[in-house]
Amino acid sequence: MQTQASKILWNGVFVAILLSLCGLIYLSGEKIDYNWNWQRVVPYIVNNEAASVAAPQDGSITSNAAGHLQLVSDAGDLLVDLTDYENITVYEGDLVFEGDQLASSEQWRIGPLTQGLIVTIKISLFSLVFAILLGLVIGLMRIADNPALRKLAITYIEIIRGTPLLVQIFIVYFFIGTVFDLERFTAGVIALSVFTAAYVAEIIRAGIQSIPKGQMEAARSLGMNYPQAMVNVILPQAFKRTLPPMAGQFINLIKDSSLVSVISITDLTKAGREVVSGSFAPFEVWFTVALLYLVLTSSLSWAIQRLEKRLAASD
Amino acid sequence: MTKDYQGDDMIVAKKVNKIYPNGCHALKDVSATVNRGEVVVIVGPSGSGKSTFLRTLNQLETVSSGSVHIDGTDMYAKDTNINSLREEVGMVFQNFNLFPHKTALGNVMLAPLKVAKRPKQQVEDEAKALMLKVGLADRMANYPSHLSGGQQQRVAIARALAMQPNIMLFDEPTSALDPEMVGEVLDVMKGLAADGMTMVVVTHEMGFAREVADRVLFMEDGELLVEESPENFFDNPSHPRLKQFLSMVL
Ligand SMILES: Nc1ncnc2c1ncn2[C@@H]1O[C@H](COP(=O)(O)OP(=O)(O)OP(=O)(O)O)[C@@H](O)[C@H]1O
Ligand SMILES: [Mg+2]
Repeated sequence: MQTQASKILWNGVFVAILLSLCGLIYLSGEKIDYNWNWQRVVPYIVNNEAASVAAPQDGSITSNAAGHLQLVSDAGDLLVDLTDYENITVYEGDLVFEGDQLASSEQWRIGPLTQGLIVTIKISLFSLVFAILLGLVIGLMRIADNPALRKLAITYIEIIRGTPLLVQIFIVYFFIGTVFDLERFTAGVIALSVFTAAYVAEIIRAGIQSIPKGQMEAARSLGMNYPQAMVNVILPQAFKRTLPPMAGQFINLIKDSSLVSVISITDLTKAGREVVSGSFAPFEVWFTVALLYLVLTSSLSWAIQRLEKRLAASD
Repeated sequence: MTKDYQGDDMIVAKKVNKIYPNGCHALKDVSATVNRGEVVVIVGPSGSGKSTFLRTLNQLETVSSGSVHIDGTDMYAKDTNINSLREEVGMVFQNFNLFPHKTALGNVMLAPLKVAKRPKQQVEDEAKALMLKVGLADRMANYPSHLSGGQQQRVAIARALAMQPNIMLFDEPTSALDPEMVGEVLDVMKGLAADGMTMVVVTHEMGFAREVADRVLFMEDGELLVEESPENFFDNPSHPRLKQFLSMVL
């Protein structure tokens, strides 16, 4: 048995090892001829550079009922309301042409890294939803009595798991994408969901098969048909058991989404690569990118752990 | 569904054979009839086919040959919907098979809500009445894992009753229970029998068979060897195999 004192000791050891690792990384960072400058990364996350507003088409500046300036087209339609802008560079009565600057304002805007992060979140979310749906269908086919369904599912799983994701992304984008005229983003989502679904299907199959046979028999003996028994009895129980391996798979999905940068989707990884070339701070940028991925994956695993705790009520 | 005849025969099994895919011949020409309101107890040594026979009565196992009629409906007729036929036949299992993700009350309410699609309030009221009937009015919000074996089996009985079946099948309902909990489950079953429920019970509880059964069936090696009133069955056993069996269990 561990005493309280030894517990504290070993926790201390853990912190000490972690700190010395950080120290080592810091020292090696000092040793190489590299000028660390974390400040440079900030504008790529958020910045407040002045943004200017240009006239969308020809028109003239008038003032509205409240006395604020606005741009009105020759036909009399309101084009731009300048009420909220600070530095207005036009005066009432001015005639302006398409493209002329009207005003500028300092406002917070998200930088390319944050934009990449949003793309990564979007692509991961879409792929997650489709992977779950497709994985559920394939998983149910995998345990069906019908040999055609079962063999189709096995073939799918074997092909997808037997080829690299990177190759699948290229095939979806260049082959399927050309045939069906797909957008990059759509191609990326398809490749990721098709890939993840193969693993989700196996997780769901194992989850369903881990439920004792008596559960299906009890459900059927009450008059439920197969789908009703699946939906009301088997899947809710299987769902709970598959949560831990699902969490791992979804974390993989987020990380795998970095591969879609090869078909020029500006996700977090591609944004990182683009920023590196302009910022002259490659180390800082890549550490930041890693940190952002870590934030994503750890919030996901935290959310799933919460869900697991809530579902544990019946244990 | 068409009824071939109208009558008091709730279950009619004719020349039922069951051969499992692995070649095991578990039922050999078993024929039996159960009348409305009758309690029939099946006994026999382990592996004699008692469970298999019981499970052919709600088609958890399909027969290899022979026929089964439930309340006049041919189970294997083309126009028979097995799911609606199963609503007529409740089953209670040795291992309870309660749904662990539902509370006791949730277990009882699930099938009436999802299969019979009756209104929620009505289902809830009926489920509570059933929980009261099996003596568990104070355990309705418990999950199965927080109930004793005897309590779980009583919830399982209430769950089967919630579909308002005409027939109840019991497969060794007390075999997985600690001895002190056997009585509470048997009491619920006696109450059901007294209410006139048609029941087929596989059990090793000879006392229950003697007290409650209208008829006792003896199976061995997939064959139905004896079919007798409890008095004759226990006090004047005629079949030599039955004599041997009784000398071992009594
Ligand atoms: N799913 C199955 N597949 C193959 N053989 C089976 C299967 N279920 C049962 N059997 C076999 O069929 C025979 C009858 O089994 P059954 O379970 O009906 O006996 P039982 O009388 O209920 O026995 P017990 O008292 O042990 O429950 C046995 O020989 C058994 O091995
Ligand atoms: Mg048995």
